[in-house]
Amino acid sequence: MKEKIDQLFENEAQLPKISSVVSKVMEMVGKPDVVIADLAKEISKDPGLTAAVIKLSNSAYFRPAKPVKTVQESLMTLGIKTVKEIILLNETKGILKKELKGYQVDGEANWMHSLIVAELAKRIAVQKKLKVDKDVVFTAGLLHNIGKVILADFFPTVLMQFRTELQSYQGPYTDLEAKFFGYTHQETGAKLLEKWNFPQELVEVARYYSEPEKATQFPELVSIIHIANCIVLLGGMGIDIGGLKIPLSPKALQNIGVTEGDLQMYYTLLPEMVKHIEELISV
Amino acid sequence: MLNKDVKIINVGIADIQGGQSPSVIRTTLGSCIGVVFYSPEKKVGAMAHIMLAKDPSGKDSSKNPHKYAETALPELVKRMTELGCSKGEYFARLFGGASMFKGMNSSFLQNIGDLNVNVAKEFLDKEKITLLVEDVGGHEGRTISLYLDDGRILLKKGGFEKYLYKVR
Repeated sequence: MKEKIDQLFENEAQLPKISSVVSKVMEMVGKPDVVIADLAKEISKDPGLTAAVIKLSNSAYFRPAKPVKTVQESLMTLGIKTVKEIILLNETKGILKKELKGYQVDGEANWMHSLIVAELAKRIAVQKKLKVDKDVVFTAGLLHNIGKVILADFFPTVLMQFRTELQSYQGPYTDLEAKFFGYTHQETGAKLLEKWNFPQELVEVARYYSEPEKATQFPELVSIIHIANCIVLLGGMGIDIGGLKIPLSPKALQNIGVTEGDLQMYYTLLPEMVKHIEELISV
Repeated sequence: MLNKDVKIINVGIADIQGGQSPSVIRTTLGSCIGVVFYSPEKKVGAMAHIMLAKDPSGKDSSKNPHKYAETALPELVKRMTELGCSKGEYFARLFGGASMFKGMNSSFLQNIGDLNVNVAKEFLDKEKITLLVEDVGGHEGRTISLYLDDGRILLKKGGFEKYLYKVR
């Protein structure tokens, strides 16, 4: 199985892809001296993306002060980072809204899980007044478990045995992935984001979101996503074959100073966040 | 197998939904509990997806009654009445209430599931609604689908799935 996954990463043709316009935009917004007009021009090369940016900018979620009619207006009203968030949202929808058959998660549930983790992570960062970029937090939440999309394709051949072993297995769930596939979905996700030339922050989140103790470069960001993911699973959204077997890391709570009261609040906020996110995706 | 014409009714988090044959009512549960009422005679049923036993602040339950067992369960009874069923005509089944935080220092998160289950059972007892089947606790999430044509429940948990046919 490991060889097959290695081959997949060497060939690339079958890997989920992002468009060249999106990679270019990601690269441009990463630079400190980006010019709005240049960015608008780049986005406008892709008519589908242009339409999506304008449509999403006008959603109830972003609530622009007046209707946005062009990409340039969207960049000026909502800001470059928010538009980047919109572009990634639009681009990853097709990849994340995919049924993860072996994991027993349907496409809609996986997409909703990713969005709610992103939203909750952003709220945690704001509420704890952390010095992390809020938009990076959203994106990191959105992409944290993208590796599952790849491993899901390899599930059918091992599924029966995987399930049987899962019944009596006591250790961390991802060890089973490593045993059956040669990689965990975290490693796979990190490899994919590296292929896409995405920033190191996002790669580290994908790699360590379920074992935040191991994060060395961006422990705060990884801890936020770890906690958000646990809370969202607790609420039943995106629960996979592994159930609730990812323990909540005390180290992650300590890293960002999350208290018992905070956890209670995050959990209780879930229905409100679902409504908010539904406003975003209903456009 | 699901017929194309069968309507799937999804129950969101902190939500109550009801319906009649041949629809299917479905939800996915972690620590939350799913309380299912079904009348085998009338082939109608309802499901509540409840997050917490009680409102910790005391201020939220009037705005979001379906979040909390103490306010959601009377609503579920009301929904069955609206569907034309009086007490005694329907029976209860109970799912969910898993816990994931064994060994950590959060009594709140550790106990959500158990508290939810206990409060639901107390309510059923008090209201004399018979509890037929339960699958609660542990560390697994669960997806439950209630088939209103005969009341069976498809329970998916930890990679396995099974039908539960006991309806009265």
